[in-house]
Formats: sequence, structure tokens, C-alpha cells
Amino acid sequence: MKRLIAAISGASALTAGAAALAERTQGGISMLPANSALAEEVHFFHNWILMPIITVISLFVLALLLWIIVRYNSKANPTPRKFSHNTTIEIIWTGVPILILLFIALPSFDLLYKEDVVPDGKQATYRGDGQTADFVFANDFAEGRKLVRPKHLEVFVDDGSGAQRLKHRDDYRLSGLGDAEVVVEFETPPAAGTSIVVRGGRSGISVRGCPLTARYFDACEKHIALAPTMTIKAVGYQWNWQYSYPDFGDFDFFSNLLPEDQTTSELYLLEVDNRLVVPVGETIRIVTTANDVIHSWAMPAFAVKIDAVPGRLNETWFEAAEEGVYYGQCSEICGIKHAYMPIAVEVVSRPEFETWVDGQRALAGMEPMFGDDVKLASAATGDNAN
Amino acid sequence: MADAHAATGHDADDHKPSFFVRWFFSTNHKDIGTLYLIFAIIAGIVGGAMSGLMRWELAEPGVTILTQWSGGDLDAAANFYNVLTTYHGLIMIFFMVMPAMIGGFGNWFVPIMIGAPDMAFPRMNNISFWLYAASGILITLSLFAPGYGSNIGFGGGWVLYPPLSANTGSPGPAMDLLILSLHLAGASSILGAINFITTIFNMRAPGMTLHKMPLFAWSVLVTAFLLVLSLPVLAGAITMLLTDRNFGTAFFDAAGGGDPLLFQHLFWFFGHPEVYILILPGFGIISHIVSTFSRKPIFGYLGMAYAMVAIGFVGFIVWAHHMYTVGLSVNMKAYFVAATMVIAVPTGIKIFSWIATMWGGSITFKTPMLWAIGFIFLFTVGGVTGVVLANAGIDHYMHDTYYVVAHFHYVLSLGAVFAIFAGWYYWFGKMTGKMYREWLGVLHFWVMFLGVNLIFFPQHFLGLQGMPRRYIDYPEAFAQWHYWSSVGYAITIVGMLVFLVAMIDAFFVYRRKAEANYWGEGATTLEWTLPSPPPFHQFNELPRFDKGDAKAF
Repeated sequence: MKRLIAAISGASALTAGAAALAERTQGGISMLPANSALAEEVHFFHNWILMPIITVISLFVLALLLWIIVRYNSKANPTPRKFSHNTTIEIIWTGVPILILLFIALPSFDLLYKEDVVPDGKQATYRGDGQTADFVFANDFAEGRKLVRPKHLEVFVDDGSGAQRLKHRDDYRLSGLGDAEVVVEFETPPAAGTSIVVRGGRSGISVRGCPLTARYFDACEKHIALAPTMTIKAVGYQWNWQYSYPDFGDFDFFSNLLPEDQTTSELYLLEVDNRLVVPVGETIRIVTTANDVIHSWAMPAFAVKIDAVPGRLNETWFEAAEEGVYYGQCSEICGIKHAYMPIAVEVVSRPEFETWVDGQRALAGMEPMFGDDVKLASAATGDNAN
Repeated sequence: MADAHAATGHDADDHKPSFFVRWFFSTNHKDIGTLYLIFAIIAGIVGGAMSGLMRWELAEPGVTILTQWSGGDLDAAANFYNVLTTYHGLIMIFFMVMPAMIGGFGNWFVPIMIGAPDMAFPRMNNISFWLYAASGILITLSLFAPGYGSNIGFGGGWVLYPPLSANTGSPGPAMDLLILSLHLAGASSILGAINFITTIFNMRAPGMTLHKMPLFAWSVLVTAFLLVLSLPVLAGAITMLLTDRNFGTAFFDAAGGGDPLLFQHLFWFFGHPEVYILILPGFGIISHIVSTFSRKPIFGYLGMAYAMVAIGFVGFIVWAHHMYTVGLSVNMKAYFVAATMVIAVPTGIKIFSWIATMWGGSITFKTPMLWAIGFIFLFTVGGVTGVVLANAGIDHYMHDTYYVVAHFHYVLSLGAVFAIFAGWYYWFGKMTGKMYREWLGVLHFWVMFLGVNLIFFPQHFLGLQGMPRRYIDYPEAFAQWHYWSSVGYAITIVGMLVFLVAMIDAFFVYRRKAEANYWGEGATTLEWTLPSPPPFHQFNELPRFDKGDAKAF
């Protein structure tokens, strides 16, 4: 079952421990590595739609200027022509940019809504008994978010040899799309003991590693992001961050810059004493506000940046694909130590996360939440012992 | 030329007032223009020196330079750095580009180009300038007044967002003085804008309809409308900030029921038109230069004029693209994405029309033309990165990084400033009556072109790598591009020294007298019918455009 979850969430099994890399590289010219399916979509939009277009436009203008310099200098062309109008060319250079902008705008809106609408996807697990062929999935989403198309559902089976994603029509059929219940129908009932996992929601994001050509035609396999499993509150202070976990007893802690002599030169100005810890492959809702002036919670690896404004609650979300430590920096000027309040997110496995939560609860004088076998003293993420 | 002079030149022309009356009580548009240009040069030196301190500090990781100015105190150094970013922005925008473009070239050439003897309200013109001077004194005082604790100056960025600019973040009087300075600068600009609108609407030479008016006058007309419509909003916002700070109101204080974001909306409702205020007069200047040196009329004159009108109009309905990360609703962001992208269309029309103006021309590459061609290419580069940033989905990554810094310096530092230098070399002989040495102008262009590109192009990479702006110190991995950016600044300083030499040379060594129309047949607007420099009062007999020789510029 754990492997199934890992396969569904797209998490890599290779990550071991929290390798802390700055990811910013000397002389680097590209966006920081993406650690979520959505951040990969952001990268694709920037690197493979916007960059080629703006490069071609700039080079086109440069080429025209160079041609003019060569061809129409006073030596090459002693007598200037006197035209000052050409309706055809004027229509072209008005119309073509409009088309280019439409070409940009469509994927842009798509991406914006994916980023800004917190996913509401649901997952249900069924166990095959060798006889049942129809599985009922409640379509109880908010108006406008109901499942109405086959692409709003993903179906996986696992007979013990690993999770397999099934294909609509080939492997199963759907009925009741748009109604209160959607039924996933199999030709032959799944064998007894197999797990059937159905994910539903309209928050489909192209899976990581989807080839470029498929991305251009929006033909990628989609990964339906589930509703957040937890909310974490980030409060900006002059000059550190306070994180609290309301879903786990509302323990909180401050996250401060690690001084230069307590970290590597590579990580100085990025590393903190207490990192924000989240489980891999789960949708995390971040809610921000600020205590004094405006700050901004930024995490390039997830393409996330959201201001922390006094008196307001802002929200954003991410779903980390791989374990590791990721860094961001306060991104709204907030006074003299603006450069000294970085953000570090440590992505860990679910069991490690639970161990860490219980450790934090113990520090706050609360009972463990995830069972007695958790050894509180040896929280797996030593850096975060508060 | 000679007869134009003869027609206008009689005894009263050169009746110049005494020095004090002429320069302190001045009502002459050309003298006031000169005052504005001197003001802009001083401000440019101060603002440029501030960027020099920042680039020096950023040349390598760690805080090593500004601590020497603060007696080793890191907090004071960090405050100083924030003060530098803030005042660099404010000075370059309000006290360098605006006075140079609108106050300087606008005052000098709009009346001449439309065939008017002076501005409509010469005394108001005088008070516009002296309000600016007073505003300059206030911002200087603000720089040395306590801001945060015992640290001097306001260090919250030129955008002045509360609560950092409110008592929470900057309790000292620096911010109050800054608000008053902006009030005066705003009042000055509003008066100036009213003056330009009245002048252009009422004092055009007989027969010069709006559709025959030179594009520089068009650009200043559109700019003046932007000023009149946007500056009162800034004035309102900073007045509310002033009362929040001093009289217990809570417009922007969440604890009192206010909203910090209200300020941002008001600020950017002014702030976005403001960036077009900075660049539109440059569009006008570039049009004249491209036409002059191509010896060809401007391609698509009406399209060029109305593209500026369209840019000005759309500029008012895109402000929240500066605020994609503040927590706007997604539908609102989608609207601002769409509206922002629309601006690329009229801007593209302008770029391609300049290229079409050159196409088929017989081009001489004199100094102003080099700056103009440089402007066209670099403004294109700055423009396309603007299209990237317009996409909210990307801006969530780029916002407040060096990518944004690179973008707006490409359109302003390499756009507006190149346009100012283009105009400066184009009209230098006209304004001073003296020619500069051509090769010094050319050298100035190439050194600056290399320098500013080296400063700002690597900053795109820093932004893509996530380097946030307004940071005094940065992780080690950003060191290489910061180093090259600072090298670019050093080259730019050399360019500015060449400029200084070129000016000293022109005034004191070269001393070549400028003819009336030293650019030849390509230069067709009215200033070229007057001697260089023009008489103290021009057009005592108005030029006429209603007698069959009417032409559009």
C-alpha cells in the first residue's frame, strides 16, 4: 500500500535523507530545479513557450536593424525613398502580435488557475473481491468543480506487484459523470485482494517528466492533485518566520537564519535553525500573514511566492515530489534584515513526518498523535529539534 | 533659415534680463528647460553614485563596503543599503528622468515645435520648476533625517508600502519629509502638465492641426494627461499615509480596520502610468531622430501618435500586475494578465514603425542615431521580458527577483536614459549653440552600451536563479553574476566620464559654432528653422501651416 501511495504521488523512491543543496549554482542561467509537477509546468511555460518567442522576436528586431544598417546606410543608399505608409504591413504587424499574445495567453491562464485554485481532489481505495465489477465514487464536489469528464478521474490497481495506472475505455468505463455518483465499471471484476484506487478532481496537472511534445499539445498524462492534507501557517516577523501546524495540535516554532559560522558557506543566507517540515507527495496548504510589516514567503522549487500581509490571510499550496531540503528567501522588502530571513522547507517521508510531529508535540507538552512506537527523543530530522 | 531668423529677429529678441532675474524669476520656456536639465544632471549624478555604492557592495558576497561607511555596524550598513535602493529609485524617476524629459526637453522644444512663442502660463512654468527645486531640498533633508531608530533615511523601497513606511516600520521623520517632497514634486508636475496641455491645445501655429503636430509634442501631450490623471491619486495615497503616521488615522493599518493593500492599489494606479510617463517622451524623441538621420518622413505618423494614446489609456487599467503575489483573487489576476499583454500591441507598432521609417532611408550614423538604434533594440529586449512578467503564473516565480530589476532597467535605464542621451546629442547644438566632438559622442555611446548591458543582462540570470531584489547580501552561488554586473557598472562610469569630457570639450575646447540646421535636410521640425541657440523670444511672427505648404512631421 505504501508503494502504491508512492507511485501515485509520483514520489521518487531514491531520495534518502535530507541532502541540503543550495541548488543555486555559480553562473547559473536557468530556473531552479522544479520539485513539483506544477513547478514543472511553470518551467515548461517559461522555458519552452515564452523564452523561444521572446528570443525570436528580439533576434528578429536585431536582424532587421542590422539589415537596415548594412543596406540603407547613406553610402549604400544615397537617395532615400519617401514612402510613409503601407497599410498591408501595418495590419500584419498589428495582427501577428495579437496572434502571438493569444498563443501565450491560453496556456498562461490555464497555468494561473492551476496555481491559484487550491486542489480539491479526493481519493478512494477499494478492495477487489473477485465479484464486484462496479465501484462507486461520490461526486460531491462544489458547483463548478464536479467530475464531468473522464479526465477528471484516475484509476490505479495494485495486485501486489506494484501500482498500475489504467486507461479509460481500454481498462474501465465510467458512468454517471456529472451526477451525484460516478461509477467505475470493469469488464471483469478485479481479483480478490487487489487494491483499486480512484482519484477524482479537476486539479489535473501534467505529470513530471512528461515529454515536451506532449506538453505542447496538452497531451500529458495528468496527475490529479488531492485536497490539502494539512494547513501550515507562516507568519512573517521582523526578521524571522513563525510556523504553526493547526492540524497537529497547533504547535509552533520560529525559524531563524543560521549564522555564518554554523552552516556551510554554500548555504549561508539560506539555511535556518528550524525548517518547515512537510510530508512528500501530499498537498500542503500554506496560509500566510504577518505580524508587523509585509513579508513574502517564497519557494522557487515549487514556483510559489505569496505575500504575508498584516491583517490578511493569503493562501497557496504545493505538493512536493521529492524529499530533500529546499530554500527560498523573503521576497518583499521588510526592513534592515530583509536579506536575513530565509525560508527552508524539508520534505520527508510520511513516517518521518509523523515522528517529527510527535517530537514537536512532545516539546509543546502534548501527547503523541501517531502511536506509541514513535521514539520521541530521536526525531529523524535532527536539525529540527526545537 | 536666415529668413526665418530675419522674420522673427528684431531688437526685442535679445533683450535678456539680468542674471538673477533671468534664472530665478524666469518665465522663458527655454531658460526654464535649461534649469530643468541642470537639475536632472545633478540628480542623475547623485542617483548614479547611489547605484555605484550598491554595485560596489554587491560585487562580492558578504557586507564589506557599506560597513566602512557605518563604522562597522551591520544594521546601519543594511539600513544604508535599503536607503540607497529607495532613493536611487525615487531620484532617478522623479528627479532625473521626469525633469529631463518633460521639464527639460518638453519645455525647450514643445513650444518651438508647435510654433508658439512660449508656454501658455509662463509664470506657472516658473513655479513648477521652483516647486521641483523645493522638492529636491526636502528629499535631500529626508535622506539625512532619522528613519528607523537612529538610522537615517527611509529604507522601504521607492514603492513606499505601508506598514514599512508607516510608524511600524519607519517611525522617524525621514518618511514624513519624503512624503512632503513627493507632494511638491507631484504639484509641480501637475502644474507643468496643465501648462503643456493648454499650450498644445491652444497655441499651435495657424494651420497646425493636431494631426500635423510633431510626434514629440504628441508624446508630451499624452504624458501630460497621464500626469494630470495619475498624480492626484499618488497625492491622495501619500496624504493618507501622512495622516496614518501623524494624526491617528488607520487607512492602511490593519489593526485599526484599514488595509495595507489599499495603498498598493492606489500607488500602482499612479505607478503604472508613471512608467509610461517616463518612456513616452522618449518615444517622441526617438521618432524625430530616426526620421532625421534616415532622411525620410516618419512611417505611419497617425499610427505612431495613436499608439501612444493607446499605451497611455491601457496604462491606466493594468496596475495590479505589480501585485500578483499580494493575494488577489485568481479572476482578477487573469484580467490583469490579459490587459497587460494588450500593451504589447501598440508598443510593437511603434518599434516596427521606427524600423519602417529607417527602411529605404539614407542613414547617417551620427551620435543621436546610435543612441536611437540602441534604444530600439534594448527597449525591445526590455519589452519582451515584460511580456514574460505579465503572466501571473510566471510572476509567482519572478516577482521581486532580479529578473524584474533587469526588466525595468532595460526599459528605463537602457530605454528612457538612452532616449535622453539621444535627445541631448540631437538638440545639444540647438540648445547651446555649440557642437560636440562627434567621435567623443560615439565613444560615449559604445562604452555606455557595453557597460549597461553588462550590468543588467546577467541580472536576468540572477532572477531566474531566484535572487531576490533589495538584498544587501546574497548566497555565495550568486557571486559570479553579481561580480560581472558590478564590472558593467565600472565600464558605465568610464562612459559617463567620456560624456563629461565630451561636454567640457564642447564648451571650452572644441567651441564649434552650431548652424541653424546642423543635421541637414532630414531635420524638418520648426526648431531647425531658428538659429542655434534660438533667440530669447522666438516666433514674434507666427509660422503658418495653412498656406498650402502644410506638412505633417
